[in-house]
Amino acid sequence: MIKHRKNRWWICGLLWVASAIFSLPLVVMISGSLKSSEELARNPYGLVPESWSWNNYLDSLQSMPFTIYLTNTILLCVGCVVGTTLSCALVAYGLSRVPWRGRGLAFGLVVATMLLPWHITMIPRFVLISEIGLYNSLWAIILPTFLGEAFFIFLLRQFFMTIPEQLLEAGRIDGLSHWGLFWNIVIPLSKPALATVGLFQFVQTWNDFGGPLLYLNDPQKFPLAYGLERFVSSYSDQTHLLLAAAVLFTLPVIILFFLAQKTFIQGISTTGIKG
Amino acid sequence: MFTGLLFCSPWMIGFLLLFVWPFVASLYWSLCRFDLINRPRWVGLDNYLRLVSEIGTDQGFGLALSNTVYYAALSVPLSVVIGVLLATLLSAKVRGQSVYRTLVFLPSVIPVVAASILWLWLLDPNDGLINYGLSWIGMDSQNWLNQSRSAFSGESVGVLSGWISGEPLRLFGSKDALVLMTVWGVGNFVVIYLAAISDIPNALYEAAEMDGASSIRKFWHITIPMLSPVIFFNLVMGLIRSVQTFTSVYVLSEGTGQPGGSLMMLSLQLFLSAFNDFEMGYASAMSWILFVVLLIATIVLFRTSRYWVHYRVAA
Amino acid sequence: MSIRIILVSTLLILLLGSPVALSWFLGSQIQTKPIVPPGREEVVFWHFWGGQDRDVVEDVVQRFNESQSSYWVRPIAMPGNNLQAKLFLSVAGGDPPDLVNQDDPILADWAERGVIQPMDEIGGAEIEKIGDWMFESARRLSTYDNQFFGVCNGLDIRAMYYNKTALQQYGLSPPETIEDLDRIANTVSPANEAHERYAYLPDSRRFWAWGFVFGGDFFDPQTYRANVDSQPLVECLRWMQSFGRIYGPDNLAAFRQGDQSLPGKTFPLLPIEADSVVGRYCLIMDGQWRVRDIFNFQNKRREAGIACPEYDVCPLPSPSNGRKNAGWVNGNFFVVPSGARNSTGAWEFIKFWIGFNQESQAAKTCAAGGWIPVSQSVVDDPLFQEYLDKNAMFAKFVELAGSPNQFPIPQVPGAAFFKRTIEAAGYEAMSNPDKSAVEILKSANERIQKHLDRAREDLKLNEERP
Repeated sequence: MIKHRKNRWWICGLLWVASAIFSLPLVVMISGSLKSSEELARNPYGLVPESWSWNNYLDSLQSMPFTIYLTNTILLCVGCVVGTTLSCALVAYGLSRVPWRGRGLAFGLVVATMLLPWHITMIPRFVLISEIGLYNSLWAIILPTFLGEAFFIFLLRQFFMTIPEQLLEAGRIDGLSHWGLFWNIVIPLSKPALATVGLFQFVQTWNDFGGPLLYLNDPQKFPLAYGLERFVSSYSDQTHLLLAAAVLFTLPVIILFFLAQKTFIQGISTTGIKG
Repeated sequence: MFTGLLFCSPWMIGFLLLFVWPFVASLYWSLCRFDLINRPRWVGLDNYLRLVSEIGTDQGFGLALSNTVYYAALSVPLSVVIGVLLATLLSAKVRGQSVYRTLVFLPSVIPVVAASILWLWLLDPNDGLINYGLSWIGMDSQNWLNQSRSAFSGESVGVLSGWISGEPLRLFGSKDALVLMTVWGVGNFVVIYLAAISDIPNALYEAAEMDGASSIRKFWHITIPMLSPVIFFNLVMGLIRSVQTFTSVYVLSEGTGQPGGSLMMLSLQLFLSAFNDFEMGYASAMSWILFVVLLIATIVLFRTSRYWVHYRVAA
Repeated sequence: MSIRIILVSTLLILLLGSPVALSWFLGSQIQTKPIVPPGREEVVFWHFWGGQDRDVVEDVVQRFNESQSSYWVRPIAMPGNNLQAKLFLSVAGGDPPDLVNQDDPILADWAERGVIQPMDEIGGAEIEKIGDWMFESARRLSTYDNQFFGVCNGLDIRAMYYNKTALQQYGLSPPETIEDLDRIANTVSPANEAHERYAYLPDSRRFWAWGFVFGGDFFDPQTYRANVDSQPLVECLRWMQSFGRIYGPDNLAAFRQGDQSLPGKTFPLLPIEADSVVGRYCLIMDGQWRVRDIFNFQNKRREAGIACPEYDVCPLPSPSNGRKNAGWVNGNFFVVPSGARNSTGAWEFIKFWIGFNQESQAAKTCAAGGWIPVSQSVVDDPLFQEYLDKNAMFAKFVELAGSPNQFPIPQVPGAAFFKRTIEAAGYEAMSNPDKSAVEILKSANERIQKHLDRAREDLKLNEERP
């Protein structure tokens, strides 16, 4: 931690430079998305567009079935967020608040799967998904989240561990079963942690590219991330439209970030997961 | 016992279906020729031998491995160094601190697909922003995503000698571009460091100040040692992440690994071997080699876990 | 704490909801799944066309749907790379389309692995008649091992576009031989200078085309040997490398990038600045689809009253011991995936598209899209003749389609690898102009042979099983 008052001016200078470098790409992305293709070719990086081509946004919305992609993305996000929070909370409770033999081992396995590369399970999972007839269905992506996600189980378990034992004890005295304790005590107390999990799952699903690439083949079912990639190859010469589409795709995540900045930051600093 | 199992049953089912069975299946297929349509055919260690024979060459697995190693070797340490420096800066109590923090963090929440589209444009050799910035500080424009040769490769010696004799210095290639893009998204590491920095007891700094230590000395002798467990954690996480890089290279190269195979990372090679070349066995064997390498990294992580676990609980 | 959470989740819902509401509001373009008319069977058809071409495809589909009352084709645009991976996944996943249009060299692999159905099982004896009706090059693109696994519906021919006006300014005539081309290159863009524009630069991916022009054959089907390091191909690659030696490989790489990325300017033969008559190149090897770009460009200039350069096309110039009117041909072809639900509908649509016994339909399609028909009978259709009369440049491509020296990538299992490796060899050679061409090709040849052998061995293994 740097505290010397006399150092302030150069720290401020460095901070200014660093944040300018980091945010400049975003700024030019937004300004570029508002320039006509002609202006973009002539003056790609002028920060303020000469004429504001809001039309780029309408054009890029119309050059791909944006509504369909967006609807699919939202369906996926809602499904996955519900699936993950539900399943992970249950499992985390079982791993933290219910004593049973083998619990330690199970938790060890959870942590182990957290660090496994997805490659190794990619092909067999594909086979499994197509065997049960979920290929080319959004369920191919949603359903696995109902079976728990190691990172989030880990996060929730750590949180559940901090709930004072006295509270649960009081519940038990009132005759609550584990199920009752889970719903009436642990869940209400864990809303911040659950929100973190939901938020991260939301962002993860919003950004997910590999899943749709593998499992979906009907453009009527494509989510935005995948639809946008398809868009890149067919519109590689229309940078202004690509930028507008990228901004549209990014905007919700950014807004979400500003709304839930604290949750984001806390989530990342306690688990080290990338959003 | 029963209740515990019941609560954990979603994960149990998931573990069996999505981990245990895939592991067994992929291990078996890695010993077969298998195209997913016709029945697998046992070939023993053939796939592994083929993979080993490709190591050190510029084809197939060898190419993907060297690309991935290059990318990881550059991006992981760079992310750590830049991350720690930024976090130290951002921990300074100045006006607008939260604004600076937000600006540095923001790039890391940009979806990879959108970020890749953005960087495709920024890295254009002719009129890209990055080259514009380089020309501003008097550097020659770089070819970035259009050049297979990387900055830290043997061939760069020739480029340097050409530069001395007056040719433009074109060092950076597509993998360097990928590193640049990764470092841009370093914000989430910064957040972790920031959390760790705020846990460092102020008394340490105060004591150092009494001894008349300079800012740099405090950074070296207090901040860095106190951060070391987190740095180590991020090193390993960064390694795992960089080895798994897929979406960005897929979008940047439109799923081809071009130019000149320089963006053919292990994960892309694996995907293409499996679903473009119908070689599930070969791809499975590749994933197993990858797994073993990462497993070793993970074991190292766990062996040292007591160091960083201590701080995480304190946090 | 919990108030904040409630706040955040409310905002979340709003955030989720508002884009939906917004896009429904904006959504005049909402494409809901088209309903198949009663009494008709749906044919799901994948293709990869985008932009203007997509409109042509949709027009063909519409005409087909109106021409009969049994089938209903639903076109699905799947632009981008790795369509083959996508199709493969869909067959393996058990939900394939009924018909796919492709242009990658995958016929042999897919046929051997049973990903696609042989056409004679779908079309019966009719397929042989179609084979006789087609151009030789179209037949080569449709068959593997003398059996039809695809039906070619459009040929892509490459030739040399040139800027007539620019060449005339230099007092040059279009090249007939490689020596001519080198002379032009040297006059317009002399060595060891930085250039804003170049006369001509070979593209490493066009090693296929130049290889055939130089008299090379990449593969010998009789012996099943890759033939990549043969003398004509070595000479060809050396010639391609000479450009890198003259201009510097990095300069070329930097210059090249502009070919793809200049916003709105896709064909580098055309000038960007309004006061210029020369684009980034004076000559460029490209396919017939560029005729349209030139036409549009010239129209725009004439309307604006700006000086407009003349363009023309000639066959690829060849060395004295090479092939005339030669080049690499590829094209689009239909395949019917295994597990397709409606292969008969697909078959009817294939015939409609290529114009078998309904030539004027195909003539209309080809004229609308600027596509090369697969049969002389379609070319001879009055409607298409009228189109050719108006498009002299395009007519030269159609003429080349009938040349015996137009070769596709060898139809063998492993062809995709073959193609990739040849292009990679071209890239390697051009970015390292001092590297020995023989060495590059020897190593490529070895790799390709290994791959072909492995692919064949794999397939044999498959045959052994009951």
